[in-house]
Amino acid sequence: MGNAALLHHYLLTGGGLFALGMIGFLCRRNLILMFLAVEIMLQGVGLTLVGWGRYHGGAEGQLFVLFIIAVAAAEAAVALALVLTVFRSGRSLDVALLARLREDTVPPQAVPPGDWETAAGSPAWPRLPTVGRRPQIPADLTDYRPRI
Amino acid sequence: MEYLIVFIPMMPLVSAFVTALLGRRVLKSSSHVPTVTAAAAAFAASLVLLLLVYRASATSQEPFAATVRLWSWADIRQPALEGAAAAPLAGAFDLARFHIAVTLRIDPLTAVMLVTVTCISLLVAVYSIGYMHDDPGYARFFTYISLFIFSMTMLVSVSNFALLYVFWEAVGLCSYLLIGFWYQKPEAAAAGKKAFLVNRVGDFGFALGIFLIWSLYGTLDFHDTWNAQTGELISSGILGGVRTSAGGEGYVHGGVAAAIALLLFAGACGKSAQFPLHVWLPDAMEGPTPVSALIHAATMVTAGVYMVARSMPLFEAAPIALTVVGCTAGFTALLAAYIALTQNDLKRILAYSTISQLGYMFLGLSVGGVVGAAAGMFHLFTHAFFKALLFLGAGSVMHAMGGVIDLERIGGLRRRLPWTYVTFLVGCLALAGVFPLSGFFSKDEILATLYKSEVGGVYRLLFYAGLAGALLTAFYTFRAFFRTFHGEELVPVEAGRHAHESPPIMLAPLVILAVASLAVGGLFGPTGWFEEFLSKTPGLAPAAEHAAHAVQETGHDAHTLVAVLSTLAALAGIAGAAILYLGPPGPLRAAAGAARALGLYALSYRKVFFDELYALTIVRPLRGLATAAAWVDRYIIDCLADLVGLVPKAVGALLRDVQTGLIPWYASAMMLGMLALLAALILI
Repeated sequence: MGNAALLHHYLLTGGGLFALGMIGFLCRRNLILMFLAVEIMLQGVGLTLVGWGRYHGGAEGQLFVLFIIAVAAAEAAVALALVLTVFRSGRSLDVALLARLREDTVPPQAVPPGDWETAAGSPAWPRLPTVGRRPQIPADLTDYRPRI
Repeated sequence: MEYLIVFIPMMPLVSAFVTALLGRRVLKSSSHVPTVTAAAAAFAASLVLLLLVYRASATSQEPFAATVRLWSWADIRQPALEGAAAAPLAGAFDLARFHIAVTLRIDPLTAVMLVTVTCISLLVAVYSIGYMHDDPGYARFFTYISLFIFSMTMLVSVSNFALLYVFWEAVGLCSYLLIGFWYQKPEAAAAGKKAFLVNRVGDFGFALGIFLIWSLYGTLDFHDTWNAQTGELISSGILGGVRTSAGGEGYVHGGVAAAIALLLFAGACGKSAQFPLHVWLPDAMEGPTPVSALIHAATMVTAGVYMVARSMPLFEAAPIALTVVGCTAGFTALLAAYIALTQNDLKRILAYSTISQLGYMFLGLSVGGVVGAAAGMFHLFTHAFFKALLFLGAGSVMHAMGGVIDLERIGGLRRRLPWTYVTFLVGCLALAGVFPLSGFFSKDEILATLYKSEVGGVYRLLFYAGLAGALLTAFYTFRAFFRTFHGEELVPVEAGRHAHESPPIMLAPLVILAVASLAVGGLFGPTGWFEEFLSKTPGLAPAAEHAAHAVQETGHDAHTLVAVLSTLAALAGIAGAAILYLGPPGPLRAAAGAARALGLYALSYRKVFFDELYALTIVRPLRGLATAAAWVDRYIIDCLADLVGLVPKAVGALLRDVQTGLIPWYASAMMLGMLALLAALILI
């Protein structure tokens, strides 16, 4: 495989990752999932950097990506801490509810959690289990997967 | 001498600061101490200064003046022009020389004024200790009095028209503060405002006059300025020796001179309450009585007389202006005396009397020269004593009667207030001009100078007006006197148990003033000392020969004739008042009834409707204009401002809905924006 062909693969994979992450970021409403989507976008960019680095035959690209990974790890810790604080204050990670910076005249896009969880016909929003509480396992699941 | 002239105004200034800073908290009921001390020191210094000036001036025939230069204020002279050639006479000067020299001058006129002002100030300050005791504003009162003494002593000793204007306004401010001293009283606050506003009209004229002087003569200094090293003349002052000794050469003549003199006189009219700006003085009686005595009778209101006497050369350059001064003064003297005939408020009678007597002073001045100035200034000098005496006497009555001085409600007080009675009688006799009290000599001097004036014509007419005024003066003075102290005893309920003689601290100034009223006229009048002394004032000196000439021409008989006539007028007035208010009904009372029927009484009682006239012609239109202006401001200017404010508001309303607060929304906006940028990059 020639250098250019290899680069194409890298770029396609990186671009694909970036696009996937972007779609995830735009469509998801859970803060943690949005954060994961951002991480995917970041890795897509990293992959293209590695590809270009290899294409040019230098080590700078790879080195740079190593730094990015390290910084991303630190950044992930900070971001998750923020997410945790947001959850503590609002008891929800739905970004549609975290719209306090909107103008007063604009109607809210989502009802507060207390309401939409109980409201009839409301869609079952994807959510992660609440941190620090033991997950409630449905009985039918424990029947055949007792060690979950 | 140089130290004294600085010392005199400095003492009251220091005392004003001390009283203002410490009065309320520390000094409390002894707040009078700094003021009385300062006034006493200033008075002593003024007496010494007077003696020194007298000794210095008596030794030579030359006019005497000394100046003390403190510093230069607003000095914008260009250094290059410092040594340039002097411009001694009118017309030729250099505009680049503008500066205001803070210079005090010592000359006979200033010395006389200083002694008068500080003497009356001291006595009134002492009197106020008794009169104002227990007043919540005790310290404030003495602060204002100190400030006034400072301003007034500065007014008479500065040697510059600009500074004269500054202290002219400063005494006006003190007057305003003291008229409205009891500011909780709406009448007092309104009277203060009225005094200030009416004075403003006159001061506007005064300011214009000063501008005109500046643009014609190129300096505002009274004195000549010499270069200390070379002895060269830097600039010749308006009333300085260089200009005055040049005779008529030093001054502009004709219409411009008349304009200057009349504009200055407009200022004097405001301050000295001459027609048509006399309306503020009677209302100024709302202030405490010592203030009425000090400011609105003896000293501040005479600032106009002083100013005209000071700038006599400018007036002499325009004889027509002197005639206008005389006519205004004569009319004012008669008008005020006529109004005073029927007033029932003792202080208001005295206020109108002050206006009338100020008219006499201006009548004297209108003759011009040192003769006129000496006559006017002499009347100022004696009037200060007996009018202060009368006001303080009225204050003593007011003190005893619980603040009531309505002639309808008081009467027959001679047994209750024996000291006040005697001293008030002395004041009344002096004001009426009975021989040998001071008023006789000074009024006689004015009438004689009018009678002997070479111009004749108008002045002869003014002489008769003055004579008629003397008759009215005697009548209204003794009307007030008889109704207060004679007849049935009548004590208002407000007096309570206080209807007794005032404390010694208030009586002492009364007695001193009474003695002064008896003595000063006889001491200085017939001896000619006053005129001789004043003739050593630089601005008044050159006319001296001219005046002496006039006196010789008419001889001494005229003087005796005038004296006899004025005494007859005074006695006739007193007798009229006695018959009308003490005697049984008779033909005179019938005549008074006829006058009442003709509406003369009502016309006088309503003060010739001046307040109503001014309200109709000036106050109402101005108020209408103000209402219109307020409407324009409220509904046109404000609306325009609101309209401008609407623009950003409307733009904001358009963009508001974009701010949803949703992160995905902002993120997609970012993505789309990036895509658009990329597309632009690729396609273009």
